[in-house]
Amino acid sequence: MQINNYGSYSGMEYIIKIKKPRKTLFNDKWVWRMAWLDARHNLTRLFLFISSIIIGIGALVAIDSFNTNLQEDINTNAKALLGADLNVRSNKVFEEETLALFDSIEYEQAMDVRFASMVLFLTPQGGTRLVQVVASEGNYPFYGNIETLPDDAMESLTQGRFAIVDESLAMQFEVSYDDSIKLGNLSFIVKGIVSSMPGTNVVAATFAPSIYISLEYLEQTGLIQYGSRYSYRRYFKTGTTEQADLLEKRLLPVIKKYSYSHSTVEDEKENMGEAFENLYRFFNLLGFVALILGCIGVASSIHIYVQQKKSFIAVLRCIGASAWQSFNIFFIQSMVLGLLGSIAGVLLGIGIQHLVPVMFGKYIPVEISVGIAWGAVLKGLLLGIFISGIFSFLPLSDIRNIPPLSVLRSDLNNDNKFSRMKLLVILLAILFPWVFAVIQTQSIRNGTVFMGALLGSFIVLTLVAKLIIFLARKFFPTGWSFVWRQSLSNLFRPQNQTTVLVVVIGLGTFLVSTLLLIQHALLNQVEFMGSEERSNTVLFDIQPYQKQGVSDLVRTYQFPVQQLVPIVSTRLSKIRGKTISEIQKDTSDHIPNWSLTREYRITYRDSLIESEKIVKGKMISEVAQPNDTIWVSISENMAETLHVDIGDEVIFDVQGVPITTYIGSFREVDWQRIQTNFIFVFPKGVLEEAPQFYVLMTRTESKAKSAAFQQELVTKFPNVSVIDLRLILQTIDQFMDKVAYVIQFMALFSIVTGLIVLAGAVINNKYVRLKENVLLRTLGAVKKQIVQMTLLEYGYLGLFAGLTGIVLSLLGAWGLTRMFFEIKFVPDYIGLLAIWLSVTFLTIIIGWINTRDVINKSPLEVLRKEV
Amino acid sequence: MDQILEVNDLTKSFFSGENKLTVLDTISFSINQQDTISVVGPSGSGKTTLLGLCAGLDLPSSGSVSLAGIKLNALSEDDRAYIRNRYVGFIFQNFQLLPTITALENVMIPLELRGEKGLVPKAREILDRVGLGERMDHYPLQLSGGEQQRVAIARAFFSSPKIMFADEPTGNLDEETANKVTSLLFDINREEGTTLVLVTHNMELAAHTDRILQLKGGKLIADKQLRVV
Repeated sequence: MQINNYGSYSGMEYIIKIKKPRKTLFNDKWVWRMAWLDARHNLTRLFLFISSIIIGIGALVAIDSFNTNLQEDINTNAKALLGADLNVRSNKVFEEETLALFDSIEYEQAMDVRFASMVLFLTPQGGTRLVQVVASEGNYPFYGNIETLPDDAMESLTQGRFAIVDESLAMQFEVSYDDSIKLGNLSFIVKGIVSSMPGTNVVAATFAPSIYISLEYLEQTGLIQYGSRYSYRRYFKTGTTEQADLLEKRLLPVIKKYSYSHSTVEDEKENMGEAFENLYRFFNLLGFVALILGCIGVASSIHIYVQQKKSFIAVLRCIGASAWQSFNIFFIQSMVLGLLGSIAGVLLGIGIQHLVPVMFGKYIPVEISVGIAWGAVLKGLLLGIFISGIFSFLPLSDIRNIPPLSVLRSDLNNDNKFSRMKLLVILLAILFPWVFAVIQTQSIRNGTVFMGALLGSFIVLTLVAKLIIFLARKFFPTGWSFVWRQSLSNLFRPQNQTTVLVVVIGLGTFLVSTLLLIQHALLNQVEFMGSEERSNTVLFDIQPYQKQGVSDLVRTYQFPVQQLVPIVSTRLSKIRGKTISEIQKDTSDHIPNWSLTREYRITYRDSLIESEKIVKGKMISEVAQPNDTIWVSISENMAETLHVDIGDEVIFDVQGVPITTYIGSFREVDWQRIQTNFIFVFPKGVLEEAPQFYVLMTRTESKAKSAAFQQELVTKFPNVSVIDLRLILQTIDQFMDKVAYVIQFMALFSIVTGLIVLAGAVINNKYVRLKENVLLRTLGAVKKQIVQMTLLEYGYLGLFAGLTGIVLSLLGAWGLTRMFFEIKFVPDYIGLLAIWLSVTFLTIIIGWINTRDVINKSPLEVLRKEV
Repeated sequence: MDQILEVNDLTKSFFSGENKLTVLDTISFSINQQDTISVVGPSGSGKTTLLGLCAGLDLPSSGSVSLAGIKLNALSEDDRAYIRNRYVGFIFQNFQLLPTITALENVMIPLELRGEKGLVPKAREILDRVGLGERMDHYPLQLSGGEQQRVAIARAFFSSPKIMFADEPTGNLDEETANKVTSLLFDINREEGTTLVLVTHNMELAAHTDRILQLKGGKLIADKQLRVV
């Protein structure tokens, strides 16, 4: 020690400055030893801290690894997904010019035609089903493995009038080898079953399972009729990406000229990436929530740990430990446990990642590989250490302010001093979740909104807690019995945990309820069968000459003809005097290309239907004279997309005939309603003679009657297809159940972390209440009274925090459904009530478990422990 | 003889809103090395506050404390902690042992804090001296009150402090144990030649010291020399 004399007092020399050896976290062995000595006996209390890290990091690593592996798998398997190096698609027969160009291309080619049709099973079980027919020619797919039974089933297609059916279809209708099916006018013999085809997945196959036939029989089936939606496809095998790019350039002029679609392997990668983007985002946000709850877990468990360590720290300060040395002891404990927790979390994440493909791999069209994503592992480790550091620093910084004098006066309050270091850490603690949310959502806006919502929830919950404390104190019911008064006063007395518990319980409730509400809103979208009057069966591709016959058949079965709507296929030719190609070239227009080149299916009628209303202009019902102006109605969304207004000229190309029209009105259309909704509606008196087909909507009753009707319909009108909405609803329901299961599984991480935080907060609260309850027992309180007081205190907290969380979730889910999912918000009050009661019950149970120590042990034993 | 502690016009006041409460009022005294002195007075007289200020656990509102020639007022809290570790030993009424470490580890802490090594034999020796040779690997919770206070005495003397502050060291003990602890405290103090400042309201215990300072209402009302060292 070097002591310098710098001052004087009353003529005597005094030492006023001490020069002591500088000790840091890294060269002070004593703090490391003390950290170890103390931690040995606090592992159970620190278990909550470490659990928060383990679960949070585990969730993050599992999700990140899954995302990384899926992305890699998509990149690796993109060729197999496309099945070719390049494909060109058209919804009409390729033009002569295009076919000539295809013929001049030296690469191997294949082609197919895909369309929806009804199939009739000529099996003992019988039955009909809407399927996707794939009429193919050539060796497509060029890449990827087809799994069929028998192995060479696909080869049989070229050898006769044979068909290969999807596995799901074969199982549903008990189709076996050599059974017959009928497509249109032709019957085919089943020569195999497909269980895996590159580029298709279980979801697609569930809605429209495929049947493969040879292209040479397509014509004879008689299924090619006006109005049917076909996809004519040509596949090319170039071998390399460079050659595919060159071929793409060569084909682009015709692709653009005839508005074909096309895909390369690179496009497929992008499409797949986009298809999974929402899934990535959702999972990333779940990981984020788990991690944020982990942060809260870290901060709250360390906060309460420090409260319990006050006298320990005061003794150390008293016998000469500096403020930083005292701080470092616990900081080392946090960091080492944070590191261990992060490693355990990473291992847990890797373990859970193995479960993900098992759970929902079949919904994804690529085989998900399970490997260690080192990037995710490193990210998890670093985040775990960072979180441990930042979120334990805040509560630990109070240690530096614990005065040594509190050894003599335990009631001494330490001042909450503000240091630059503390300010920096607070800024980091706010900045970290925000930056992390932005990175996870890959969007500054979404990340900021999410962080804002989280921060807002914290603030609201904190304010609610303060309000509870204020109200309980202000309007304290002095007339209540002792047990009720004591439990209520626990909410505002010194060392109460009301704020911590309300924030933690409220946040957990908020997250779980929001998930429930979103799920409910999504499911509600497909629950369109509620009304007795609503149509549940749609018949489409009805040719004009079949209109009467089909309507009669519907009535024969005593089903109502609820709608019989004519549909005409058109394309846009000119808008406001400019041709489509002129608009395409004009970059200042910002009209998306798809809206210009797509096929528009339009109808004509003289009035509005239930799902629409005029928002601008006037609906013109009929064109009386051939030369009268044709005023059409457009949906307001498309008017916005096409940048057209009332009075603008729009020329349609109806099967080669130009028809000049003017925008007469804008309609708001409820696209969610099961109706035949249209973008453009023509008045009567214009399109009656144009090539068209009809859609008929009806409501069938029993399943058996509906099956019989469909069977007769397919036999009499083979080209007419039926969509049985009941079947679709059932399929969607099953699918949504599975999706909900996956979502809930992933959400479980967040919920488990929330529960750990909740248990941590409540268990730590035990140490605050323990001594008091023991004293009450010593003074003569019976077990029943102690239990009642505890249950009531946690009951109040669970009820208030749960209710606040639910109110917040209503706001959150409303915002999410409106802004992100763009679906109708439908609150599920029964579900919310169940959550509210469950949260309250859970809080009470955890609180009750905590009192067992007080109840089951003698007061003396506990009092002695607490000395 | 050299002075170890010099207290000049020491005043400590607290504010509660606009009300000022003076707990210690212009106290002055000095203590020589190896003196044993007790501070007595009724509850609320300012005994514990005086001890806290003399030991550098707190700072006065005015006046000064010099410990071993070092003016505590001018030092930061960390510097005062450093001085405490070098010069001061403490014994508390409620023992204040660290509950998560053993008796032996508790004893070694002050010297470990200085960075000294190889302390186990010396720590065992002093625990033997206080009669806890068989219980040195026990945790505080596994010891009786008297045993805990003996560990506290061992810890306090282990670092060979120049001055020992004891706050009601027998206040939590029964009479028989209190007598044993008192004997032990004064015996070791004598052997080590440490200055002892004892805060108590127990006049019987105070009678063991050479000098008694009597406080009342925050003022020093008597300074009585019982025997000359």
